[in-house]
Amino acid sequence: MPPHRVGRIVLAALLASPAGALAQSLPTGPIRAMDGELLVNGEAVATIGAADDVAFFNYTDYAHNALRLFRISVSGAWQPARRLAFVGELRSEDLEQPRAYAAYVRVRPWVERQFDIQAGRIPPTFGVFSRRAYTTDNPVIGYPLAYQYLTSIHPDAVPAIAEDLTRMRARGWLSTFPVGNPEPGPGVPLVSAFRWDAGVQAHWHSGIFDAAGAVTAGTLSDPHAADNNRSPQLSGRVAVEPAVGLILGTSAAHGAWLSKNVARILPGDRHASDYAQQAYGADAEYSRDHWLLRSELVWSRWRLPFATTAPDGVDLDALAAWVEGRYKLTPRVSLGFRADRLGFSNVTTAASTLSWDAPINRAEAALSYAIQRNLTAKVAVQKNDRDAGRVHRRTYIAGQLAYWF
Amino acid sequence: MPLPRPPRLWLALALSAVALVQIAAAQQRVPVRRPGTGTIRGSVEFKVAPPGPDRRVNPAGMAMPGALDASDRRRSVVYLDPAPRAAFDAREEPHVRLDQRDEQFVPHVLAIVAGTVVDFPNNDRTYHNVFSLSKTRSFDLGRYATGRSKAIRFDQPGIVRVFCDIHSHMSAFILVFAHRYFALTDEDGRYHIDNVPPGSYTVVAWNEAMPSESGRVQVADAGGEVELSFRFEKR
Repeated sequence: MPPHRVGRIVLAALLASPAGALAQSLPTGPIRAMDGELLVNGEAVATIGAADDVAFFNYTDYAHNALRLFRISVSGAWQPARRLAFVGELRSEDLEQPRAYAAYVRVRPWVERQFDIQAGRIPPTFGVFSRRAYTTDNPVIGYPLAYQYLTSIHPDAVPAIAEDLTRMRARGWLSTFPVGNPEPGPGVPLVSAFRWDAGVQAHWHSGIFDAAGAVTAGTLSDPHAADNNRSPQLSGRVAVEPAVGLILGTSAAHGAWLSKNVARILPGDRHASDYAQQAYGADAEYSRDHWLLRSELVWSRWRLPFATTAPDGVDLDALAAWVEGRYKLTPRVSLGFRADRLGFSNVTTAASTLSWDAPINRAEAALSYAIQRNLTAKVAVQKNDRDAGRVHRRTYIAGQLAYWF
Repeated sequence: MPLPRPPRLWLALALSAVALVQIAAAQQRVPVRRPGTGTIRGSVEFKVAPPGPDRRVNPAGMAMPGALDASDRRRSVVYLDPAPRAAFDAREEPHVRLDQRDEQFVPHVLAIVAGTVVDFPNNDRTYHNVFSLSKTRSFDLGRYATGRSKAIRFDQPGIVRVFCDIHSHMSAFILVFAHRYFALTDEDGRYHIDNVPPGSYTVVAWNEAMPSESGRVQVADAGGEVELSFRFEKR
């Protein structure tokens, strides 16, 4: 049975069940075991939208559409001591084989100090959306372009000339380049919200200040459980909360993003570390009464070689910015919105100068209804506008049912 | 010669001391026992302790979550069902508090008579968003900062589950009664319901984690005390 059909059946079953019956039969909080040392909770999210095999605006890879997805996740934490915890999360999308989204050990060296070290497949340090991508914290259904939209570039294949790159504009869902891996595959987003990186992270909090730094195997756009180029990424974020409800943060990251398999076939003595992704981000959140407003800005630069004409590489820049918000109309009903823009720098080909990928604008509005505290129904309208590709404009309507415990 | 004005700090301290003395006196006040009425007293015990509050596991978090106080999960409410007819005569509009402190609602269980106004002060250095989707009383207070308080009046009897929209581990129960023949157990599980008119009653013990238990008592015509204890056997 196709996964989307299974999702539809689950969605229909959930909708057909009276809320009271659901409340009595489903857990409403974490399941505890081992005297509370082990906690397990989960989330099931069914998102139903129209099929899209032409425009691919919301694809997170070639197989998954963020507006047409059934996702189950189970999170667990075992804390055998006050200073030590093991944390993990398993996820299955469209009923596929579950995979470890998070798996790390957390250590607090001094119990009284808010300083923690985490090692393993750790949460992202850069920005904020990746750490709040859970359905309950998303005012709409879709994802911000910086964290979801697939640009055309790959870590394991590169263009020979600039035209190879511009030919792939708006084809990030399945692009191909002549040097390196010849198989067509999805490109990378600015920051991946769908995979977490492996490494070590330190986090410190004191008063109004919050800081985190990490060393990881992959990069923002291509996180890895195992290293693919023997060159780590450094990332960090500093945030301040000058007033209750106002949080301002800034992030930075730098790491080699190109696979060593590609770097070593380039002319000359090239190393993967010659081709870095660097990124800077700024984020802000303000909330008061029934309002919640957030904004984030991500600038990313990849060093990409054109194997024939520029093996040293050229800088490809991308800038994403969005504003999102939520207003609670009643205890059960909320309105959400996001306005989003992703733009790209220019490259020069023999014939013209144009942006290396197609700029895109997105606007989304959502209406959310809390059937019960941990069961929410949402409907959203999302409008996309791109200046290249087979489809330039498309509006999607999607519905979502999310349950968590 | 004009008297020097007392510094504002001293004035505030003096007023606070007066207020504290009054609060302490009110807490120690022994209920006036009406003649010809009885008291139902006893205890509520547990074979297995109710589970404490648990934070949801948040793999995206970067810090060790703090421990939560589990002691008030043993607090139970004991009440008469049905209540004597005289119970519905009183007409008051008391105020009570349900604090938001250390990312918990304090107290975790509140038993009030219909018409009571509950204040929800925020005593944390972070936002909270108190809300309830209960049929008895649905409300959403929005986000407000330290030192501020919002109030809700509860007119309809029933159980109101209260949550925080920001911190999913925060929860509280407000039991709203149409009468005043109810009591919240103390730290040792003891309770007493005073001024109960003579008659035969069903007494119910409620705890959030247990199926309710009930028992019958007879309050004699001359009043006096009746003992009835409960033990929650299963979860």
